[in-house]
Amino acid sequence: MFFRKAGISFTRYQDERRIWRLPADRWTVAVILALLIAAPFLIDRLYIISYLLPLIIWSMAAMGLNLLMGGAGQIHLGYGAVIGIGAYASVHAMRAGVPFELAMILGGVAAAAVGVIFGAAALRVKGLYLAMATLAMQYIVDFVIVQFPAISGGSQAALAVPRVSFLGIAVEGDNAPYYVALAICTVLTLFMLNVRRTSFGRALAAVREKDYAASIIGVDPFRYKLLAFWVSSFIGGMTGAVLAVCYYRTISPDQFHLDLSIQLVAMVIVGGLGSVLGVFLGVGLILFAPIVLNQLISWGADQFGLAIPIDLRAHLPLMLYGALIMGFLLIEPLGLAKIYNNIRNYFLVWPFRHARQ
Amino acid sequence: MSLTRRTMLTGAAVAALASQLGARVALAQGSKTIKFAFPQDFTKIYTFVTSEYSQGQRDYISLINGRGGIGGYMIEPDVSDHANDQPRAIEAYERAKAQGAVLIDPLSTPVARALVPRALEDKINLITAFSGRSDAADGTAFPYVLPMSPNYWTQAGLLIDFFKQQDGGSLQGKTICFVHIDTPFGKEPLPILEKLAAKEGFKLQAFPYTPPGNDQSAIWPQVRRARPDWTMFWGAAVGQTVALTEAVRNGLDMNRVSSSVWLSESDMQVVGADQTVGVIKVEPCASGRDPKIIQDILKEVVGAGKGAGPEDKVGTSYYNYGVMLAALMLEGVRRAVEIAPNGPVTGEWLNAGLTSIKEFTAEGMIPPTTITPEDHQGGGRARIARWDGARFVPATDWFSANQDVVWEEVRKYSEEFKKTGK
Repeated sequence: MFFRKAGISFTRYQDERRIWRLPADRWTVAVILALLIAAPFLIDRLYIISYLLPLIIWSMAAMGLNLLMGGAGQIHLGYGAVIGIGAYASVHAMRAGVPFELAMILGGVAAAAVGVIFGAAALRVKGLYLAMATLAMQYIVDFVIVQFPAISGGSQAALAVPRVSFLGIAVEGDNAPYYVALAICTVLTLFMLNVRRTSFGRALAAVREKDYAASIIGVDPFRYKLLAFWVSSFIGGMTGAVLAVCYYRTISPDQFHLDLSIQLVAMVIVGGLGSVLGVFLGVGLILFAPIVLNQLISWGADQFGLAIPIDLRAHLPLMLYGALIMGFLLIEPLGLAKIYNNIRNYFLVWPFRHARQ
Repeated sequence: MSLTRRTMLTGAAVAALASQLGARVALAQGSKTIKFAFPQDFTKIYTFVTSEYSQGQRDYISLINGRGGIGGYMIEPDVSDHANDQPRAIEAYERAKAQGAVLIDPLSTPVARALVPRALEDKINLITAFSGRSDAADGTAFPYVLPMSPNYWTQAGLLIDFFKQQDGGSLQGKTICFVHIDTPFGKEPLPILEKLAAKEGFKLQAFPYTPPGNDQSAIWPQVRRARPDWTMFWGAAVGQTVALTEAVRNGLDMNRVSSSVWLSESDMQVVGADQTVGVIKVEPCASGRDPKIIQDILKEVVGAGKGAGPEDKVGTSYYNYGVMLAALMLEGVRRAVEIAPNGPVTGEWLNAGLTSIKEFTAEGMIPPTTITPEDHQGGGRARIARWDGARFVPATDWFSANQDVVWEEVRKYSEEFKKTGK
């Protein structure tokens, strides 16, 4: 009913090759994009700055990681460090007077250069062993940042981001950082949606499924594993620059610790490996469930006059949060994207369940 | 209506939305209230201090509110958990700002550092007691960041001065070991110690341990071999008790082992109250239940059943830190009311009060503290206390020392912030 087409059948190849095949999907995307663009005029600034902006930036990071984990099947537990390298490289470049647009690419290249060295381990080791190798990257990068005051910014270890502009727009105030991040995220999302349909994306999928099977059919695993690390680290580095400029404005080593890496892995898994939509859903859940649950508990306690001690009030949301993640993974191990897909498939043929999909 | 999964999910979603509405409504009221936001870390890293600190803060605020507030203004504290997570802390900060809070106390070094640019821009008073940037002592560079307590450089300077007093006025040729967690926080006192080593002629040996510091067994035998005249250990949470345990195990003289403000009665109980007699710490305010303010709280707040937490925590070191900071904040409010009785209540209004606190002693609980627009540290006074097996007993009166070296360092960093921070 909602999708107007019960089952998908196309008469032209062009129709089948579109990113969004159904008119309803195209409309949904257009409406969401329009809402995002109009958001600063529709909702309170609080929700722009502390909800939408981090959602967009964390989604960029999670998309980069998802290319590696969902696309090429390589686990990475040091993605926080990759973002950190990008952030530090670009902030130092900006402090030296390099414009933001260039510094962002510089940050990406720096992160890619370091990321690919550790990614080279993926040529020899797989699975848990690769997890350990990338974990080592996390610790080495943390250590290097803290040990060199020239990188971390002296004994205060806080590096202020200078005021910069993006394509002529000064990135300051409440809305400009939001639009800058939104624009970059839109480009990245389109790239991610398309990359799966390129020969590069298909080669990654072949490597993901079985690397020596891939090499038998003529896909060089050496090249594509390194490329996967390179591209994904580049995206991570760029995200680091955006994170520093648009959101944190002061960077310090603790922002890029293992916590961030684990958080991103959780976002990708909860959202759905390999899914672009899942990334946004996963980021939304992991980033905001603790905040919303916290407010829910304290609001409930105030409304119903329950005297919950502050310690319990702080810990209760964490328990619920844990239960929530486990619940989602139990209901649908393939992630939130799969839950969305199930709902969509149901409505696609509704109310004629017996029709073919 | 039967409770199906669907109704339950819908109900949860509606409740989640409703919890968002509260934020907006609060703005409308607030005629004669002053909002303080206390998003602190109750669940992750600072758990060792936060619940006691927050309890002290809220009890003192209840005490003053119970007496009718300050100049007709009631203080409304809003306590929440940021779990030391920066996106959550930024959300809490922006929410507090939207609700009209004029002061925010995150009690976390990483969070305080991340909030500095926002607080300076929004003119909201960011309290960074025992946390955050040490160079925030320079009010000319950080007008809205207020440590209001001796920073780590001052604490290190006070300890060195105490060693000097104990050793008959000279540290020439002595060995001082500095055992610290290998993070920016742990390394912070190093430049001050190096300068003082050159000035006083003692030999400084630094021993970093890897965070979080639950294994330091490789470090302390080296400390013992260095035959230190004095030892300082610098960490927080579990690192502190582990350090002290190792110091005991390696047979160091407890009368010559010292630490910063981060040592509490419960740490001493964990290590062994009798094994640690003599250990030295920096005390920014009186501990125990003797101070008059604590007695008042016991009588008027806890006695009336309005205490914010368990009664046996009242009077512990960290509880008293909370009372100390709340007292300083409310003294700032009192001064602000004196300067401009009719408000309007803004960050600037409160800042004028906070930076004109003069010789405030909280009825003898804290050293005389004077905060000016230039000096946000409050004079850098504290005292040295020793553990006697049951409580920390002051070994000196309130004093201040080596402030010239400290301020040299403060200015070095604040100048740089002024140059590049904008």
